[in-house]
Amino acid sequence: MKIPTSAVNDESRRRAEDAALAALVDQYAGALYRVAFSVLRNAADAEDAVQEAFLRVLRHRHTLGDVRDHRVWLIRIVWNIVLDRKRRAKTRPETDDVDELARVLPSAGLTAEQLAAAAQHHSHVLACVDRLPPKERQVLVLSAFDELSSVEIASVLGITESSVRSRLFRARNLMAGLLDHERSLR
Amino acid sequence: MKLNPHKPMASEYVPVAVSGSISSSAEETLRLIASLPAPAGLEDRVHAALRYAPSRSPLRQVFVAGVVSWGRILAWSKALSPQSDWMRTAAAAAIVFVVAGGGWGVYAHVQHGQPAKVIVMPRAMQPDGFSGAGAKRTPQTLPGPTVILPVKPTPAQHKAKKKPAASLAPSPLQAP
Repeated sequence: MKIPTSAVNDESRRRAEDAALAALVDQYAGALYRVAFSVLRNAADAEDAVQEAFLRVLRHRHTLGDVRDHRVWLIRIVWNIVLDRKRRAKTRPETDDVDELARVLPSAGLTAEQLAAAAQHHSHVLACVDRLPPKERQVLVLSAFDELSSVEIASVLGITESSVRSRLFRARNLMAGLLDHERSLR
Repeated sequence: MKLNPHKPMASEYVPVAVSGSISSSAEETLRLIASLPAPAGLEDRVHAALRYAPSRSPLRQVFVAGVVSWGRILAWSKALSPQSDWMRTAAAAAIVFVVAGGGWGVYAHVQHGQPAKVIVMPRAMQPDGFSGAGAKRTPQTLPGPTVILPVKPTPAQHKAKKKPAASLAPSPLQAP
């Protein structure tokens, strides 16, 4: 039986795409999870977002060859997913409670009381982050990732690098003001 | 620590007053959250999700019976493709038919020749200050006292009375 050449080409191309996608999963799933968790602050939701991101990639895997920087491209996909989920989840009660933070925070060398206090502190800081304007908050959250440069943050957010810098400056100012205000109230 | 050459350093953009301990503690929290390790087996679960996803045919979110789910959308045949010209013409004709039919239905249901409703204006009040208030029947009230006015004779009546007197001619029938 003679198999058409186009079918062989399609099959080999599909296998190559599958292999490339598997490599992307192995390489970037962890990074995508951390990006998702920094916004959603819920382990299960973050994992769902990562899976959804790779399912989207699967559907558009024929465009993988055209992508210049896979890491930034994937982070941009998962970023859009988590922002959308966060927007939809606004009506639900907040999930980033102290217990969840205490569960995921590294607890090595800390007593239970110290861990609870740290979780309380981080929860308080994150509540202040949530009160920032969205544009400044997004830049501040992404700037916390060491592996993302300002150029890459600009690429993820679809803005210029100078906008990233100015927003980051404003975010830090606002954050300092918020924390200072909170501290004076105590 | 590996430094990224593209990474904006905090000292480049943040004044000393702002980059104090308050702001840095916030960034420390964010960095801590950003550096949390992914759960074990995440890659395997993603691989499994990709493996079990029916990826061989295009999947889309479909809305069936009030439920949004992932499903397979069957491809149109070329003749029935929404992009074909005659299909577009048929769709346009169907829209025109539905709009015209709806208009005709409305027109047919409207009753013609219906008398226009007239707004009844209130009657003007009578000079004595009372009105019937639009009542269809008014009770017959008792006849009140009637005043009989003395009628004075008018000059015309005097003349009329005098006229026969002036024509008093001696009648042959009248006795002297």
